[in-house]
Amino acid sequence: MKIIIKSLILSLLIFFTGEEIAFTQAKYHEPGEINNILGDLNKSYPGLTRLETIGRTYSGKDIKALSIGSGDIDTRPGIAVIGGIDGRYAAGREIALGFAGRLLKNSGNDEIKDLLGRVSFYVIPDASPDAISGFFSKPMAERLINANPTDNDRDFTIDEDPCEDLNGDGFISLMRIKDPTGSYIIDPDDERLLRKADLSKGEQGSWIVYTEGTDNDSDGKFNEDSQGGVNFNNNFSFEYEEFGENAGIHAASEKESRAVADFLYDHFNIFAVFSFGPQDNLGQPFKPGRQSQETQEPDPGQWRRRSRKIKNILPEDSEQNALLSGKYLELTGYKGSPGFTREPGNFMEWAYYHYGRYSYSTPGWWIQAEKGMSPEAAFLKYASENIEEDVFIEWQEIDHPDFPGKTVEVGGIKPFALYNPPEHLLGEVIESNYQFLVEAAKLRPELELLDLKTEKLEKNLHRITVSLHNKGIFATASQLGDQVKWVRKIKVEIKSDSDFRLLSGKKIEISERLKADESREYSWLINGSGDFTISAGAVICGMDEISFTVR
Amino acid sequence: MQRSIIIILSFLMTISLQAQKDERFFKAAGTPVNPKVSASWNKYYTYSGIKDLCERLVTAYPDLVKMESAGKSYEGRDIIALTVTNHKNQDPDHKPGYYIDGNIHSNEIQGTEMALYAAWYLAEMYDENDFIRELLDDKVFYIIPTINPDARENFMHEANTGSSPRSGMVPRDDDRDGLVDEDGFDDINGDGIISMMRRKNPYGEYKADPSDPRHMIRVEPGEKGEYEMLGYEGIDNDGDGEVNEDRQGSYDPNRDWGYNWEPDYVQRGADKYPFSFPENQAVRDFGIKHKNIAGAQSYHNSGGMVLRGPSIENGGSEVYSREDERVINAIGEMGETIIPGYRFLTIWKDMYTVYGGEVDWWYGFMGTFVYSNELWTSHLMFHDDSRDSYKFDKLLLFEDAFIPWEEYDHPVYGKVEIGGFDKNFGRIHPGFLLESDAHRNTAFCFYHAYQTPRLVVRDIKVKDMQGSLKQVTATIANLRMMPTHSGQNIKYKIDPPDYIYLDGGEVVASMIVLDEDNNLCEEQEHNPQRIEIQNIPGNSSVKVRWIVKGGTKYTVRVESVKGGYTSGTN
Repeated sequence: MKIIIKSLILSLLIFFTGEEIAFTQAKYHEPGEINNILGDLNKSYPGLTRLETIGRTYSGKDIKALSIGSGDIDTRPGIAVIGGIDGRYAAGREIALGFAGRLLKNSGNDEIKDLLGRVSFYVIPDASPDAISGFFSKPMAERLINANPTDNDRDFTIDEDPCEDLNGDGFISLMRIKDPTGSYIIDPDDERLLRKADLSKGEQGSWIVYTEGTDNDSDGKFNEDSQGGVNFNNNFSFEYEEFGENAGIHAASEKESRAVADFLYDHFNIFAVFSFGPQDNLGQPFKPGRQSQETQEPDPGQWRRRSRKIKNILPEDSEQNALLSGKYLELTGYKGSPGFTREPGNFMEWAYYHYGRYSYSTPGWWIQAEKGMSPEAAFLKYASENIEEDVFIEWQEIDHPDFPGKTVEVGGIKPFALYNPPEHLLGEVIESNYQFLVEAAKLRPELELLDLKTEKLEKNLHRITVSLHNKGIFATASQLGDQVKWVRKIKVEIKSDSDFRLLSGKKIEISERLKADESREYSWLINGSGDFTISAGAVICGMDEISFTVR
Repeated sequence: MQRSIIIILSFLMTISLQAQKDERFFKAAGTPVNPKVSASWNKYYTYSGIKDLCERLVTAYPDLVKMESAGKSYEGRDIIALTVTNHKNQDPDHKPGYYIDGNIHSNEIQGTEMALYAAWYLAEMYDENDFIRELLDDKVFYIIPTINPDARENFMHEANTGSSPRSGMVPRDDDRDGLVDEDGFDDINGDGIISMMRRKNPYGEYKADPSDPRHMIRVEPGEKGEYEMLGYEGIDNDGDGEVNEDRQGSYDPNRDWGYNWEPDYVQRGADKYPFSFPENQAVRDFGIKHKNIAGAQSYHNSGGMVLRGPSIENGGSEVYSREDERVINAIGEMGETIIPGYRFLTIWKDMYTVYGGEVDWWYGFMGTFVYSNELWTSHLMFHDDSRDSYKFDKLLLFEDAFIPWEEYDHPVYGKVEIGGFDKNFGRIHPGFLLESDAHRNTAFCFYHAYQTPRLVVRDIKVKDMQGSLKQVTATIANLRMMPTHSGQNIKYKIDPPDYIYLDGGEVVASMIVLDEDNNLCEEQEHNPQRIEIQNIPGNSSVKVRWIVKGGTKYTVRVESVKGGYTSGTN
């Protein structure tokens, strides 16, 4: 009885102070916990939030989106904040979730209050919740894939060769087999690690390295077809790899990728997407490269049609990327990003090249790269100075059924340790990323109608001139977005209840984008008089309106 | 009393309907003389007409034709799929499959009639013709007459040109102004057809053609014009200065397939991502459910072409293997013979680049040999290159396809004249040519379907060996042109290899016999009872061998996804 009362009081406490708990405890949350926190935030801030279930994974978990802002949030510039795009990057989920919590907690501050009236935030902390299950499973194992059963190794049996925790320590790590046919050697930078032997330096390998497990299907390969699945971050259409590993049957084939893509497509007001995963263009901005001249030229004399793919960031968007990257490094204090990894079908490049929005991504936390040292060795060096917890599982000899009579050892860097800060650093990581996102939001596009001029040429003949100015630091749409049909154009419209004729100028003008601080003049010649309104804009960059009377 | 008379009457009627001999008719070669399911091939079927015909086929031929819904369209219509085969002799999914669809572009309606004709012809001729009987005994036909039923209905029942909608019916914002489908055509003269508008103008650039005044031609430099052309019937509905710029849909369902997909700015007509639309999703799922589909046809119009992939240049994985090239060209070239006036062409090279097209999905993802016929060519009008539509309409259609120019009041342009060709002319067949072209295109499909693999087990030889062991050797032959696995199929392991089992004894070892004369064999250590063959090419054979303990009567069973299941016994 006592216990029941206690837990009742506790749950009441959680109910009333749910948000407090959400901010103070920086820890890694299971998918269910994340959804509960989102629910609590929604309950605590009903006027500022909208919580939607945008999809359900193959194992039945809800994928949720929390929309944040005051007033009519879908008709003003929006920012998407997305975590959980890669199952190894657990911290990205906490950054997105922590961002939502902090933003709402601070919504009483003038600064944030004002921001929430001008920009809307769409937070999806956990885009692919099944992929993170390895973080919380026993044994703990890195995994990338959702729970859609697939034949990963294309041998026409499904999920037949998963990993096993051979030494029973609760982690799926590596196993090494001492064997003259192996191609790995002990890493001289850190004797606990192995690296590929460099034949050009006369090195000869003496270890075989696999992930921990047995060859369940006796096909000579180890752990090549575990449960699942498709990698969310390889299931998007930009540079999608047909028949790629964990890529799915086609781009956006999965429930998770489709749910997130549909949510984004439905929100025409989103101008920028921030995602937290392996791709990084905030530590190191994208540089404009030469555009590939990849065209399709049929034989001369046939019907010609050119189609050009864009595979490098466009110049104006690259300037914006450099600006954002500078801010990111300044606010987080991070240095030496390991640089951009291009994966086929990744989310962040899709958000730029196909969805047409500004797209920024970062792991949110990383170990500074050290020259001449492998990332793993640099990490172990950093960990010895900064992380108290054990991040390394010492090599331990085991009997392995597939290698009778051979020395087999299990060990290596703990799963997830390389990609995610330890819990005691998580709060700081969330805070600095939060600061950055708030600063980025302040750069939003914002339209204003300026310098209205009405000239009366004759009775009932007026010339109207007005300038439309973008006072934001973001353009009204990315340069690439200009070509994308899912990015709306600026619409300028002149209206009146009184009877009038336009002698020059259009009633509705669909206009091109405006860069930062750019303005464009519009003019009309009106036959008539009365009260008029000019409106300009689009949901992606906001609207402005100006009214006047001509007699 | 009355009721029993009706029963007797209807009984008598049934008998007369089922009678194979009818005194009124004399059989024309190659056509069922007195079909159980009456159908005429000089008109087009609406959705209810399609459904009715399919249902009548199922009722008349329950052992040959089965009907199912492959899924729902955007507006909730069933995507009707027929499975036509001898359902009695073998599991249809264990026979090589041939797939036909039509009408992916909604205005390109006659693909549906071609597909229906094939289903009808197969069912009606099964008892009459040895070739058709063999075809339905050995193969299975999956026929989806229309994979865009919503917009087919729109094309027929709403005001359209001969080229609209082309799209499906999901609303889309084409001009990026935040509104969907807000500025479509306007049927000014209210005749259900969108034709052309012209206005008298002494400074216009057009005049009536002296040889046929219905025809508007451009004036020569220095010559005085009589008319200006104002485009298709329409009004600027949304006041943005553009006319008809945001019509219903206006995406392209044939840029929506999950192979080599690219977005709209690279490939006009693409939508959000591959398989954005429920109709194509239904076909995708249908295909994945029927991996035995070895050959396919996706009908379009027009131009008189037998098209093959790939649809993009240097596509990488979609470059066909040399062996596949030979097969695809041999069958495609036969198409030029079977359908005179049609040319055999490669999509990207001879026409234009298509990203995300259905043809590349069938070959690329499914490993299926596929063609897309562009139905109807103006060559069929006079069997020459004159291609004079006005003359054809006058001499053969008696001006039935032309809407005479007539004056109307346009709310913006004032007095205009509206006229031009009907939407049923130009891209779709005139009635009297429909059956003939349906038959030819169907014959091409049948030729292609016939060339899907036909596997047989031959020459099972049993030899006693030392100890109590026996050696069982068998030949598996493919009697047709197509391999069990295309190059793409082998490269990406789309289907499992061909499995050859030995039943009737305890298998202790097995091998593929590479060269019997010189005793060259390759042992298969893993699972010896089931020998795995990567591919059995067309018109060739493989030899396999088992070492067996016990048994005297052996059965060799073959399981090939696209080559069918078969077996043989010594």
